[in-house]
Amino acid sequence: MTAEVAALTLIPGEAPVVGLSADQCLKCNVCNTVCPVARVTDRFPGPKYVGPQAQRFREAASLPVQAVGLEKAPSADHSVDYCSGCGFCTTACPAGVKIAEMNNRARATIRANRRAPLRDRLLGEPDLLGRIGVPLAPLANAVLRNRILRWIGQVVVGVHRFAPLPMFARRTFRSQAGGMGARLAPASPSEDLPPPDKAVVYFHGCAANYYEPRVAQAALAVLARNGIQAIVPPQECCGLPLISNGLYEQARRRARRNLDVLAAYARRGYRIVLTSTSCGHTLKAEYAEMLDLDDEDARVVAESTWDIMELLRELHDDGRLDTSFGRLGEELPYHAPCQLRSHGIGLPALDLFALVPGLTATDLDHDCCGVAGTYGLKKEKYDIAMAVGADLFERIRATDATEVACDSETCRWQIEAATGRRLRHPVEILADAYAAGEEATTTTAASS
Amino acid sequence: MPAADVVVIGAGLAGLACAHALAQRGARVVVLAKGMATTHWTAGSIDVAAPAGAASAREGVRLLAARRDHPYAILQRHVDDAFGALRDMLAAQGLAQVGDLDSPIRTVPTGIGATRPVSIVPEAQADALPEWGADEGLIVCGIEGFKDFWPTAVAASLARPQVWARADSTAAISSPATVVATTAVLPRVADRHNLTALHLARAFDDPVWRELALDAIANAVDRVMPRKPARVGLPAVLGLRDHAAVLDKIRDRVGTPVFEMPLVPPSIPGLRMFDALRRGLLAAGGRIQIGESVARFETRGRHVTLIATPAAVREFAVRAGAVVLATGGIAGGGLVARSDGTFEEAVLGLPVEAPRRDDWFAVDPFDANGHPLEAAGVQVDDELRPVDRKGKAIFENVRVVGANLAGQRWIRERCGDGVALASAHRAALSLSHDGLATGRPLPSTADSTGAAVAAGAGGEWRDR
Repeated sequence: MTAEVAALTLIPGEAPVVGLSADQCLKCNVCNTVCPVARVTDRFPGPKYVGPQAQRFREAASLPVQAVGLEKAPSADHSVDYCSGCGFCTTACPAGVKIAEMNNRARATIRANRRAPLRDRLLGEPDLLGRIGVPLAPLANAVLRNRILRWIGQVVVGVHRFAPLPMFARRTFRSQAGGMGARLAPASPSEDLPPPDKAVVYFHGCAANYYEPRVAQAALAVLARNGIQAIVPPQECCGLPLISNGLYEQARRRARRNLDVLAAYARRGYRIVLTSTSCGHTLKAEYAEMLDLDDEDARVVAESTWDIMELLRELHDDGRLDTSFGRLGEELPYHAPCQLRSHGIGLPALDLFALVPGLTATDLDHDCCGVAGTYGLKKEKYDIAMAVGADLFERIRATDATEVACDSETCRWQIEAATGRRLRHPVEILADAYAAGEEATTTTAASS
Repeated sequence: MPAADVVVIGAGLAGLACAHALAQRGARVVVLAKGMATTHWTAGSIDVAAPAGAASAREGVRLLAARRDHPYAILQRHVDDAFGALRDMLAAQGLAQVGDLDSPIRTVPTGIGATRPVSIVPEAQADALPEWGADEGLIVCGIEGFKDFWPTAVAASLARPQVWARADSTAAISSPATVVATTAVLPRVADRHNLTALHLARAFDDPVWRELALDAIANAVDRVMPRKPARVGLPAVLGLRDHAAVLDKIRDRVGTPVFEMPLVPPSIPGLRMFDALRRGLLAAGGRIQIGESVARFETRGRHVTLIATPAAVREFAVRAGAVVLATGGIAGGGLVARSDGTFEEAVLGLPVEAPRRDDWFAVDPFDANGHPLEAAGVQVDDELRPVDRKGKAIFENVRVVGANLAGQRWIRERCGDGVALASAHRAALSLSHDGLATGRPLPSTADSTGAAVAAGAGGEWRDR
């Protein structure tokens, strides 16, 4: 399919693989049936309308034969901004149209013509916020919890006052990485690093660094248990929040700096492992698909990138995973985030949960929690996001489970805020299971 | 890499029914599909067989099975069990079907004012099945603002008795004595600038809105209700997830038999069926992954041992004990045309029985004899293994099911669903019998690898 579409390229450099895939559209409407946003609001007419249908206007300039003298229109209308980017339309399309990607690019074209709102620039740079917020964590968190300030934030900045913003950690992951057993490393791999079969590069992303170092800690523990050390080279935000806010230029600069470091490690054979499914998908696909970074560096990084659960499942399938998990007598509802589905790797967390004795994990089988990165934080989209996730929240509230597992941080924050349950990354559950195994061994040893 | 006893490729009726049957037998099943399938385009009825001259699906199957090249020639004895299994599974998911293989084939109206010959329909279409009484009328009730269903045009078409005749049939026509149109103004929808079947179906899932809507429909019907008995035909939008609750109420509220008329895609009855099949499969322990085409496969001797999809990077490869090809026909993308005028099966590059390009075109596209390409497909043996030109099985552990089987003229014979179900059932039995679906250890090495045809490379099996 890709080869066919590429053959239709009329103007090199226009990156029309995404855009021209609109020609494959049969107008069957299947994408509209799976769109979580169109399910709850009329503000978004549906992926077909703003995607392949509107694309004929957008691509006018790249189709000179059909549109002599026509200027390239940025978009037929601005409703495309209500696309949350979950990507279900692309996976559902039987004809191979890259609908979600097309919509994201259309939003970027709109943004390229005018100055983005302060809010979107702020939400687009979570590491900037983190660098300010973490040193001031008690104060910053008090601000985030303060209803009056949040109300002001909604009016002035446009971040909804109830939006599920995470609390800043008191210390960044990087500042305690050494103590957790990770190896802080320079921008280019040094000779004294452990070899690639004994170590991986850990891309912690903003969430694990500024908000949830516990996730990084769990990942490091699980990796260490399997004889793998985490190497942590310098890195910055992957750029996804900028991409989903249509700020491609800024995203490209960040991507380039990340690629410079990561490619050097990837070429040495190190796998790049992430606890954030969405950053992972960005390294795997969006640098090329959205930002047109389709060079050797981007390729070698993409091919070396692994979601932590994907890597652990691979270890298990190769018979190399330590499976001495202790018993966790627990009902564990699991939500598979949209970004994970775009990886196309199945549901590795569920495969691994099945190895833990006593753990009853159930797939909540809901499309999207609504937040979709930064989408549901915005004042005009918060209600939409809550409506998209409503059934999921309902289903979780109907269980007795105290914990819910989910691979993506923004989904965790959204579900936690909506349900009051404790949300955890699947790798934290596995870390618990290893710890439970050790406890059991210690107890047995002590009693014998 | 992950392993499965059976990898089913394709998430249409055939694939999901086969996966469900296998999962129920305890097999680890993964369904891989490039996207949603043709379920979303169908009318919701179970079309087992309605060729010219058949009064029931059973008779239709018998007629078709008499033809040596038709899939029913080897599948006839599985139709009962296969249909029963599907009916039970759908019922367990709250989607009851009415009619069986022995029910008379009747014509029921569609949302474009045509009719379709059916005998097994979802409960929502059941009231369209009985023969029309001598003075019985039809009220076609539209919805204000809904562009995909024009009651006056539909009524004008259905007022012509010949529209209700079955093709090639000389039997007496049963049609309503009168057909009138009416339009219901439902709350909060008429002024929406874009009102689709999906919007309406989801609105019907809301219990509060539903009450108001049913009142509005009852009023619209009352305005045109004749003194004589009448049935009401509505566009097929009566709820998605809470469809059963809508059905429970609507007949009482309207006070007369009511049925849904299937519409242009996306089909709400088709969506209900897909959702029910999917839920049933998950409940039986199966997995389903949608979004990527098969890019590559590996073989060892005459076994396919691995199926790989591209994924975001690298490939997502599943080691497979057996493979079920449920990739559909020409419409579903399971069969692809090549530039030299031949056809190929899209995943494994199996040989396809199809006319040459010069014969692809008919002067009359609606010719009663059907389209020349309809019967194109993969040739199989009695176990549904794909065979070469000499009739020898190409792969021992592959089964072909559904629309990519050669010999069915699914438009003209209305046999697509029945062939899908019977072949799914046969394949599940066959794989279980051969021990290919029972969790035995899988070979870990391959001696050959091939790129899927749809992914760009040519197939290798043509010349073997």
